Amino acid sequence: MFQVIGGRSVQASRLLAPRSAVLVEAVRGRKSRTDPVAKSKEGRIKTPPPVDPVEMVVLKERFSEYQLLMKSLRMAFKEEVLRKKYEEETGSRAEERAREEEEEHRALMALNDQENLRMLRLRILRVQEQAEKAQRKKLKVLLKQEQGQQKFLKEKEKEILQLQEDAKNFITLENLDQRIEEALDNPKNYNFAIDKEGQVVKQTILQ
Amino acid sequence: MVHLSSFLLKQYHGGHIVIRLALAGHRQANRPFYRIVAAYNKRARDGKYIEQLGTYDPLPNVHNEKLVSFNFDRIKYWIGCGAHPSDPVAKLLGLAGFFPLHPMTITEVERRRAQTQQTQAAAEETVEEGQKQAEV
Repeated sequence: MFQVIGGRSVQASRLLAPRSAVLVEAVRGRKSRTDPVAKSKEGRIKTPPPVDPVEMVVLKERFSEYQLLMKSLRMAFKEEVLRKKYEEETGSRAEERAREEEEEHRALMALNDQENLRMLRLRILRVQEQAEKAQRKKLKVLLKQEQGQQKFLKEKEKEILQLQEDAKNFITLENLDQRIEEALDNPKNYNFAIDKEGQVVKQTILQ
Repeated sequence: MVHLSSFLLKQYHGGHIVIRLALAGHRQANRPFYRIVAAYNKRARDGKYIEQLGTYDPLPNVHNEKLVSFNFDRIKYWIGCGAHPSDPVAKLLGLAGFFPLHPMTITEVERRRAQTQQTQAAAEETVEEGQKQAEV
């Protein structure tokens, strides 16, 4: 269905003779290919809007002039766009900008290097300190171990001495008879009584 | 601003850029408002555009003026890049003075003037006939 509306003629016809109660312009897609023509449109012959030859000549002239002007305008704008682009890329300001950017970049890189150096130094110090600390710890542990060993040895020595001293009072095969006689001669009394207040009474009825 | 990624994702075959009117999405009945917009030809009228270049309010305001705005710098850029303006946009720009006057504006004005003259002449004739009849 047609959608192109040419000029004022269709509008005039629409206003003068509306067929329906609602003024509806033709919209693409209402009828499909296979739908039959409407009864009211059976004998209709579609004619394009009438063209006034005088007006057409004048219009053609005007349009040719207009198109010429538009073409020239378009070319002028294109040239301006290209010129702007060229100036931006290889103009006087471009070099300054490039230089400024390079300087900025160099300054920033220098800053960065400084920072890195500083951090490096701090890191070295820190690592050294940590190494020293670890070393000291190790030494301490070793010391402690050694001390522990020494103590142990001393304890053992003490025990040995004690044993040696006790060995003097041991009952051997030679002393056996002597000691039995001594024991039989001196009976020891282990009985004692103790009070709630802690008074000890060792005197008991001897056997 | 439209992100550059959309240019890369959507490849149009044989498409070009147009400067045309797009209905702004205010969604009020009987209150249109157009944006003058640079968009790809294949896009929907109100769909994603590349850049907005102005506005057009078709309904006259309190002082009986229709307001139009243009971003001439960017319009120059896009036309320099090869955009085609649509007819209404070309007519508006012609009226604004940026483009030469569109031939159809002139012809429409002439037609309207001829029509009013015809109706005036017809009205005068009927008045004269009525006077003649009254005399007779």
